[in-house]
Amino acid sequence: MVVFGTTFFNFDSFIGKTDSIEIIGKSVFLCCYHNILPLLNDSGRYSLGDARRPLHETAVLVEDVVHTQLINLLQQAAEVSQLRGARVITPEDLLFLMRKDKKKLRRLLKYMFIRDYKSKIVKGIDEDDLLEDKLSGSNNTNKRQKIAQDFLNSIDQTGELLAMFEDDEVDEVKQERMERAERQTRIMDSAQYAEFCESRQLSFSKKASKFRDWLDCSSMEIKPNVVAMEILAYLAYETVAQLVDLALLVRQDMVTKAGDPFSHAISATFIQYHNSAESTAACGVEAHSDAIQPCHIREAIRRYSHKIGPLSPFTNAYRRNGMAFLAC
Amino acid sequence: MASAPRPERVPRLLAGCLPPYPPPPPTVGLLSMEQEETYLELYLDQCAAQDDLAPPRSPLFNPVAPYGMYILNASNLDTALNSNPEVKEASGDFSSVDLSFLPDEVTQENKDQPVISSRHETEENSESQSPQSRLPSLSEQDIGLGLNSSSLSNSHSQLHPGDTDSVQPSPEKPNSDSLSLASITPMTPMTPVSECCGIVPQLQNIVSTVNLACKLDLKKIALHAKNAEYNPKRFAAVIMRIREPRTTALIFSSGKMVCTGAKSEEQSRLAARKYARVVQKLGFPARFLDFKIQNMVGSCDVRFPIRLEGLVLTHQQFSSYEPELFPGLIYRMVKPRIVLLIFVSGKVVLTGAKERSEIYEAFENIYPILKGFKKA
Repeated sequence: MVVFGTTFFNFDSFIGKTDSIEIIGKSVFLCCYHNILPLLNDSGRYSLGDARRPLHETAVLVEDVVHTQLINLLQQAAEVSQLRGARVITPEDLLFLMRKDKKKLRRLLKYMFIRDYKSKIVKGIDEDDLLEDKLSGSNNTNKRQKIAQDFLNSIDQTGELLAMFEDDEVDEVKQERMERAERQTRIMDSAQYAEFCESRQLSFSKKASKFRDWLDCSSMEIKPNVVAMEILAYLAYETVAQLVDLALLVRQDMVTKAGDPFSHAISATFIQYHNSAESTAACGVEAHSDAIQPCHIREAIRRYSHKIGPLSPFTNAYRRNGMAFLAC
Repeated sequence: MASAPRPERVPRLLAGCLPPYPPPPPTVGLLSMEQEETYLELYLDQCAAQDDLAPPRSPLFNPVAPYGMYILNASNLDTALNSNPEVKEASGDFSSVDLSFLPDEVTQENKDQPVISSRHETEENSESQSPQSRLPSLSEQDIGLGLNSSSLSNSHSQLHPGDTDSVQPSPEKPNSDSLSLASITPMTPMTPVSECCGIVPQLQNIVSTVNLACKLDLKKIALHAKNAEYNPKRFAAVIMRIREPRTTALIFSSGKMVCTGAKSEEQSRLAARKYARVVQKLGFPARFLDFKIQNMVGSCDVRFPIRLEGLVLTHQQFSSYEPELFPGLIYRMVKPRIVLLIFVSGKVVLTGAKERSEIYEAFENIYPILKGFKKA
């Protein structure tokens, strides 16, 4: 059953895999993600792959989607927390929610490790940082890694979760995003590149207080702790990233490529790359004038949530309230 | 007259009378307890004198104990005695004498250079009136240490004090501390400045540790020492700072100490000695064991913007770039084992080095790679 247009793989071959989004993500080549929140301006989305001046409607829509998803996620995490009898939402709860999706979990773990590593290095550089760290109690090195490892250790029955720590496979989605960014930046001049870099640095974790306010946890009894907030910020970022990925795919799908008898068999990556290689300038222009429309986003979400394939009712645990989480 | 002066009596002995000079140590790297104490005492006495003085005249030079120590290293008693008063004067005059060449222990080089020491003395005697000219030659000596891998660079620099200027331009050479413990830093021949570009990474921070080898009463230290902080509820160490070299030390009750903030190996050692001196003055039998540089941080600027997306793609197994987490690309170089933080602006920070040469080598390795990703 071909679901996503003629340029995509036959979906039948992927029945049983929990992560249909990964397959889609593989085919997306153009961009990475960006955030739309009021915290971030539109340049955040630009860095993730949208056009230089994204549409306002799209921004509003994506913000809405991300917000809803995060609130739902928080509520589910609160429920898990309550089950444990804890008073705060801890990263363990979020990890627990994500346990079904190996790839996304692995990406989250990698992110946590990189965060640990980066604080370790930056600490060694500045003597003030070193003092700060010493003063705040010297158990900070690799704390996120420890949390993750301990938790996964405790819930892992079959050993596959723990195997993820040693897993060194390439994360395809990440790879795609990197390649896309590389392609984009190759054709930029230094002013554009500087702007691009700046917008890439935007994230939800920079303005943590604003993020927390935006999330509005005040109505909840159980609130997330610091590391859990970090993870939530990361998940919000990932959600936007996924959305943009999907939307780009959808948009590309909408372009009819008439006359190519093999178009249903060739992967989208190849076609788009080929096109862009031929006309890099044109591609640049196209990217500028072709911002992601809200309809692309809506279609992307629809496809993602659409229950497809014989096993779909059993694949995603978070569909209870009808919402499929993009980030996990 | 005691034949083996005990530590606490040494200062008085040296002040005036003629102690039977302890024979030079038989083996390199070994120093008897008394000798070590002697040197440390004298050295640190001068340090303390310097600490109380006004800030040094020139930022280049580090204060403290001059030749008194060095002269004693040679087995030349009379000159030692004669120059002693001059030493005291001279030390008063040069508030910024670089002492970093003074070893923790007497080493082979010192034994080999009685000739040089006498030259030192004659120079000193003749130039005791002109401390300014002395200063350049001393720092030049330090520089000279860096330039030549042989320990006889000393003699070279002694003979040509006037060559200071020609030597000055490249003060930061590898092969630091060639005069100090030969056991610690092996002499590695180094290609001087990078051949491809004239950029040399500058050291920004050195973290070192030393063992004072005695239990310390942190409360007492915090109460009596100036510039000391101690908050036992927050952290179990005294945080002490000195102005010159501008550094911070964490002193633990076990006697171990961490010294951070120095900009060169010599400064780090000097600062550590000053802290040890402070502790000693407070009545603890502090020693100076196992001084080791734990981490060196350097930075430089390649002066062109770098396309990090390209770099992270081609060097995936070494780099990680998460712009939303940290604006720089973290590159883990395997050989030498250095971590580089590479920024879009072209600034590069290198960290994780135990020796200066590692920083230079790492930069040599990364520069051609960065050039390949130059953002036009």
